[in-house]
Amino acid sequence: MNVCSYIRSGFNRALVRFRLAVYLWLILLALALLAAAPVNSLLRTQLGHLYLPEKPFQPFELYLLEALLANQQFFAPYAGFLLVFLSFCLLLFVFLGAGLFGRMLTPDPVVTFREFLADGCRYFWRFGLSLLVFLPFLAVFLLLFRLLAAPLNLWARQAVTEWPVIISSNLRMLLAILLWTVFKLLLDLVRIIMIAEKKKLIPAYAAALRFLRRNFIRLWGLYLILGLLVVLISALWLLLGRLLGGSAGIGVLFFLLLCQAYLIFRLLARQTFIGMEYSYYLNHRGN
Amino acid sequence: MKKIKIRLGTKALLVLTALFFGLILAGRAQDRHLVYDLKVELLTETAMLNGQETIVWTNITRDYVPDIWFHLYWNAFKNELSTMAQEARREKMFSRYRAGKDDWGWIKITSLTTASGKDLMPAASFISPDGPHNPHDQTVLRVELPEPLAPGETITLNIDFQAKVPRNGLRTGYYKDGFFIAQWFPKPGVYEEGRGWNCHEYHLNSEFFADFADFRAEITVPSRMVVGACGQEIEKKEDPASGKTTYTYVGKNIHDFAWTASPRFIKVERWFRADEEVSPEEYQKMAEILGLTPEEIKLPDVRMILLIEKQHQKQIERHFKALRAAIKYYGLWYGPYPYPTITMVDPPFRTGSGGMEYPTLFTAGTSVILEKEVLSPEQVIVHEFGHGYWYGMVANNEFEEAWLDEGINTYSTGRVTDLAYGPGRLPMKFKGWPLNWLIKTPAVYDWQLGRVVSNPVATLDPIVTESWKFYNSMSYSMNVYYRAATALHTLERLLGEKTWSRIMRAYHLSYRFRHPKTENFMKVVNEVSGQNLSWFFEEFFFNAKDFDCGIASVETRLKPEKYRGIFDDLPTKNSDQGKEQPLKKPSSRKEKIYQTTITLRRYGQAKPAPAFPLKLKVEFEDGSTEWRAWDAQSRWARFDFEKPARVKTACLDPEGLWLVDSNLANNSYSPRGPGASLQAAAGSFIWMMQNFLLTLFGLL
Repeated sequence: MNVCSYIRSGFNRALVRFRLAVYLWLILLALALLAAAPVNSLLRTQLGHLYLPEKPFQPFELYLLEALLANQQFFAPYAGFLLVFLSFCLLLFVFLGAGLFGRMLTPDPVVTFREFLADGCRYFWRFGLSLLVFLPFLAVFLLLFRLLAAPLNLWARQAVTEWPVIISSNLRMLLAILLWTVFKLLLDLVRIIMIAEKKKLIPAYAAALRFLRRNFIRLWGLYLILGLLVVLISALWLLLGRLLGGSAGIGVLFFLLLCQAYLIFRLLARQTFIGMEYSYYLNHRGN
Repeated sequence: MKKIKIRLGTKALLVLTALFFGLILAGRAQDRHLVYDLKVELLTETAMLNGQETIVWTNITRDYVPDIWFHLYWNAFKNELSTMAQEARREKMFSRYRAGKDDWGWIKITSLTTASGKDLMPAASFISPDGPHNPHDQTVLRVELPEPLAPGETITLNIDFQAKVPRNGLRTGYYKDGFFIAQWFPKPGVYEEGRGWNCHEYHLNSEFFADFADFRAEITVPSRMVVGACGQEIEKKEDPASGKTTYTYVGKNIHDFAWTASPRFIKVERWFRADEEVSPEEYQKMAEILGLTPEEIKLPDVRMILLIEKQHQKQIERHFKALRAAIKYYGLWYGPYPYPTITMVDPPFRTGSGGMEYPTLFTAGTSVILEKEVLSPEQVIVHEFGHGYWYGMVANNEFEEAWLDEGINTYSTGRVTDLAYGPGRLPMKFKGWPLNWLIKTPAVYDWQLGRVVSNPVATLDPIVTESWKFYNSMSYSMNVYYRAATALHTLERLLGEKTWSRIMRAYHLSYRFRHPKTENFMKVVNEVSGQNLSWFFEEFFFNAKDFDCGIASVETRLKPEKYRGIFDDLPTKNSDQGKEQPLKKPSSRKEKIYQTTITLRRYGQAKPAPAFPLKLKVEFEDGSTEWRAWDAQSRWARFDFEKPARVKTACLDPEGLWLVDSNLANNSYSPRGPGASLQAAAGSFIWMMQNFLLTLFGLL
């Protein structure tokens, strides 16, 4: 199989399980609505009756800023609320991740919400543990990043113009992303092996490391190609949103729909990553 | 009304004429009571200065002066217990200065003698004039004179000094072989008759105060350096043997002297040709506003010098365009630029010296990646050039009343950039790349943004506060820059363009080459406007009061055809007689009548004078409009309307005169609200939250 066929296979697997993206999108929407509710309520109270003529006294964004600055005391309790909320989300996301992997890897393409939840329950504990075991790898990631970024930092510190500072800052970001993809690939593979091979956590980590030792370059290359595609499509989407988005009526509606469509795209991209990794694993596990 | 206008114009004209002569007198060199002769060599390897200074100071007061106080500003960077370093440490959120390892800077006087050779070093001691004695602060040196200096007497002092350039000080510093040298020589404070020396310690939240003087400076640097300085270059001597070059600069009637040297500068010169920059129509229009003739406001040509880092050379014309606009508008509004040159410096990389003003020289600051619609270098250029007028020429005490230059100059900057460029987009960058390429930030005028960001500090400190006594750096900067500018914009709107323009020009020319205080500004405002506006300064400058008037509620109900209860038609003598009676039969047309009550509230403490009421404009669905006036002396007021239509919109202060109002969102009412804008904002926020959650989900 070549690069395109792996990506196609992953995409097909994601597409036939499109319902998963819809479930996740709905859940994320509900969570986002909940998290945004206090701010939304504040804005409605402050600006709900604002009269905005065709040529307003100041742009609406400044009214927004004014309302937020005038209610600064609101942000400390809101930050507290977000902290608790995100702690809950962390647990929920482990559960949803388990459901997502479970349904993506099943041979049965028909997805129901019940089965999605069942997979979440089934693999929740193992997924949670896989995260804990991942912590030392995270430390290795941070260590490697600091080592590899050190020459860039030195270059920036010695610079006599802005360019080395900007370039090194961007290279550091690129380095962090590239390194992270390596470790994320490992975590994804561990989960695929746990589900596909019904292995326990530590044997799954060992198998994943063995598999990566043999297939790292090709699989990482695939991962990066797909990642690049997602970035390019995202940039195009941003451009489209900037060109077509309006500040009134149908323009706003279109913009909001475009925003939600983008989220579904991102979810589908996540599914495609899993599908592609699984497809590659199936093809090379015997090697 | 017309008579008043004529009187106003004549008065302004008289003031201006008197001031013009005052200005000429103030500019005469022979009257200068302070003369500096400076010689300095920069040792680039050690970042040291070796300097000699001769100061000739004449006592022009009626006091007998027993001592001289000197600023030794660089000692603020000498240790982490200097007054400035301690103030910097107290800043919780943002601090512009952090003392770093091996970054220290200092200045040391090695010899101080009178012209007769008497050594004054034993009579010198460090003092802390601004508070409890700080033994670690050496930014003010008091030197006792052998005998008090009588009125009219002159003293000549010869000083040798050494100084270490701070690595990254405030407004001065060096990085590799790029240097920006400011506040670097021993500088006397300002002697005020009857009050003694006005000479403050170096504070975190303060700039400077000094007397007008004539400067002559010889600056010796390695020949590879490109040099710029205050005043005019009159001589350049190269010494090939030592590989050093000495530049001589002179500056007349200026109160500070800064210079810069870097091998990475490109030096470019252009001319501001007044006849090309200002059209006869513009002269005519401005002359009419000011009540002068076009000849009286003619501008001179000015030589513009730009020292720009090579990495920014593509922006040369962008720099000059902004400078041209500044010279033009400041000149037309406040009076011609009186010096032959202006030097604009794109400061050496990482010297921490961007965005600062010195007489006839200022630093801007830019970036290698710039967007056209973000007025990032332009606003700084206009602002710092503007300080040549506000602080450079009208030299208020920045320690004590910083708003007088920062506030007036921020107000002026906004006006220039609005006229020359229109609104600019907010700068947003990620990893050095402008986000405006992807997401368009809103285009805003300077006064709009300044008003909004300064609202939160309205109740923290009064605008007129000594700079080091503000609650924190944020309160200092937002109050003296933006809140003061917002108050001035409000005054302009309340008084009208003509009166306001005359006030500003009169104030500028009255105090050109002098040291005005807030009361001087108030006096000019009251005299030229012919009104007592002291209440405005009391409310918005001398007190930390919030001004917030708004529409608290709009209630509309259908007027009932009949009221319930017992109405017995007994004769009454109250004031309601003659008005519509409750039991009056409805008209045959059966027209629906709506009773609307609008409640206005004054949420903040500050209030306008009764002579300056706020206007309320109410538009109804039938197209009719009602106006009411509210003096806002009470905390609230209700206004009732009976109309055959509901309210469509209601606006308090619809002309937007009261920019000091800290919450404009409650100044208007529409049953429909802002509609799509609010939906889009809420939708965007939810979308951002979704993306954040999805990213988190993807990471786990």
